[in-house]
Amino acid sequence: MTTCIETKQVSKIFGGLTAVNTVDVVVPEHAIASIIGPNGAGKTTLFNCISGYYVPEQGQIEFFGNAIQGQPTYKVADMGIARTYQNIRLFGDMTAIENVIVGQYPRFKANWVDAILSTRRERDEAKQAIEEARRLLKFVGLEGLGDTLARNLPYGAQRRLEIARALASKPRLLLLDEPTAGMNPQETDTMTHFIRNLRDELGITILLIEHDMRVVMGISDQISVLDYGTKIAEGKPKEIQSNQRVIEAYLGPDVTSLTKKYQLRKKQRHDATR
Amino acid sequence: MRSSALDKGLRTGVIFGIVIAIMFLIGFTVTGAGLVGKLFGVSSSYNTPPLTFFVIFMVLMGAWAGITAAARSLTEPDTLKRALTAGASAGAVSGLISAVVGFIFGTLNANAIDPRTYLPMVSPESTKLFLMNQSPLTGSLMLLGVLTVSGAAAAGLSFYLRTHDGVKSGARNITESVRKTIRSEGVARVTNSPYARYGFWLLVAALLIILPRTWGGYWNYVFGTVGIYIILGLGLNIITGWAGQLVIGYVAFFAVGAYTFALLTAPEPHNLTMNFWLALGLGVLAAGISGLLIGLPILNLRGDYLAIVTLGFAEIVRILLKSDLMTEYTAGPRGVRDIAGPTLFGRSFVSDVDFMYLIIIAVLVVTFIAYRLQNSRTGKAWYAINLDETVARATGINAFASKLLALSLSAAMAGLAGVLFASRNQFTGPDDHALMVSINVICLVIVGGIGNIPGVFLGAFALKGLPEILRETENYRLLIFGVLLIVMMRLRPEGFLPAKRPVLEKSAQTSSKEAQP
Repeated sequence: MTTCIETKQVSKIFGGLTAVNTVDVVVPEHAIASIIGPNGAGKTTLFNCISGYYVPEQGQIEFFGNAIQGQPTYKVADMGIARTYQNIRLFGDMTAIENVIVGQYPRFKANWVDAILSTRRERDEAKQAIEEARRLLKFVGLEGLGDTLARNLPYGAQRRLEIARALASKPRLLLLDEPTAGMNPQETDTMTHFIRNLRDELGITILLIEHDMRVVMGISDQISVLDYGTKIAEGKPKEIQSNQRVIEAYLGPDVTSLTKKYQLRKKQRHDATR
Repeated sequence: MRSSALDKGLRTGVIFGIVIAIMFLIGFTVTGAGLVGKLFGVSSSYNTPPLTFFVIFMVLMGAWAGITAAARSLTEPDTLKRALTAGASAGAVSGLISAVVGFIFGTLNANAIDPRTYLPMVSPESTKLFLMNQSPLTGSLMLLGVLTVSGAAAAGLSFYLRTHDGVKSGARNITESVRKTIRSEGVARVTNSPYARYGFWLLVAALLIILPRTWGGYWNYVFGTVGIYIILGLGLNIITGWAGQLVIGYVAFFAVGAYTFALLTAPEPHNLTMNFWLALGLGVLAAGISGLLIGLPILNLRGDYLAIVTLGFAEIVRILLKSDLMTEYTAGPRGVRDIAGPTLFGRSFVSDVDFMYLIIIAVLVVTFIAYRLQNSRTGKAWYAINLDETVARATGINAFASKLLALSLSAAMAGLAGVLFASRNQFTGPDDHALMVSINVICLVIVGGIGNIPGVFLGAFALKGLPEILRETENYRLLIFGVLLIVMMRLRPEGFLPAKRPVLEKSAQTSSKEAQP
């Protein structure tokens, strides 16, 4: 099986803090892989390293065999890595459909001269972009909301729009940063199905950060556990659930149920952010 | 509660009283009366306007205070008594403040003390007008009376208009029927037909061809300036309105365009009397390249560095042009004279009408380019960078290159404006390129509606055209700009004509629906 993304001994240091410490993660193509870990474990930092926001101090990141660490973000996006954000980051003052059109940016080539002269390339691409954006809106279930300003959409719709924008570039790897954060159990289920569909129908490899253990255990082919920037375990959901090191080092020895502790943690975090 | 109506009235009155007192202290009462006179067709820009107009001006101020007070104290139950209380108290308080100020200066005048050493605009004539040509005591009492009565009357009138259904429904019926006519199918068919559109554009074209011929030199000059500022505004709108990068020293690119053109076509100091069109192209190009060079080292940073760097650049350009160091190359503080006017097929056309046509064509070209860019892939990338640069990068947008392009195009448009400006005046000097030009352009873009092309037109007419029409207010231009900006930021931060996003999903749907038989 081809490897989609591989981090080799990646470290990211902020001042004296090693946020990510020699982490190896290998995600095969067409897999759904999860990264879990308590707050501050370095999950989002690892995402930022992959998507090019941060340049890791050490190690290599390979995307289908090509080293991508140190490349500018837009080039990484160009190669086929799209992402969503923990706190939704849409272009709020644009309409929903425009967000999706902007998401298709790497796929089109018309430049400003084309725009001024309204060349065939410009007109064809503009037409295609709108068609494609409508199709994607329909795919994520936002048909008819395309002309609403993104910031006026309800929360769940914003999450889905963010995914539509990420899909617009026809990525080969999709990074989802807490896709079900702030959702109720029903919405979470829908989102879980949706993510599985993405993989099954579009063949996209998915790497996600998630705190909801029900989601993680339900859809992941493999799970990597980070704690204080270090990978402490990796394996199939079953293996992680029974991994003593994960339970002890990361959940505390006195807790019997992984899920219970997690929900407690999540609730605390939720209350703290309130 | 009545006390709250009284309370609101008193507060409003204090504000209006202070405003009137300041107006008097800066001499605006005379100007205001002059403006009222102008409304009635009496031009009086050089002598003191007649008393009647001053009284009308004060009545208007009082009425404004009254209406504001009545509107602010608007609660249930809405009674005439409340409105009158609020209006009268507002008028009375503002009248009292004005009366005190008037009485003080009237007494000073009577004792032959001239306050002009400290307050240069408080002339004896102005004070006399403020006191309605009466003695200090009578005059200030009359002022109090006028403001009180007009405040109460205006508040009462606004109450009447608000509560009387006859007036209200009458007005509503009229607007409703007008709206229905506009939206009716017949009108829609006419306005949507291609012939109507051609007809409309023909009409605009005819107006643009005929009007400059009938305007005469002065108005051609005024509207030429407006046109040049429209080009500047559209240019600044690209980098600041769309890409969201504030550029304060925009005038630098204007200067680069103007000076490149001037030095290439003037007999002195280099004697390169180059062809007009070639020099125009080179001027635009030079400005564009200067934008590129300024942007290269700083546009990969975030934050307001661009604003500061361009501000510095503008001052460096102006000071260099003014310095003796550069006299040999740029003619120094005297400026460049005898700059070429436009020629076409060997025939020169330098008359103001011909030049107006040139400006109109330039405005049309720049507007066309701006429209084409606005909703293109490039334009969307700019707006995405404006809204969230981090995310824009992650959607595959090369933010640095996009911003560089935006700045360069902006600068090129400023260069075009500079070329036209230098060529029309046949002269350009360092003082034409002071920072004030940048401030004006920023103001007009903000007031008109940032990021919106029609907004730039409106802003240019409002900020460059109106002051010419209202020449009396010339001394107060900066004051009015300042007040206008603050008011705009408070009440309509998105400008008079805010930018709208295009409707893309619906239009695509309807067009595909219509395509099916």
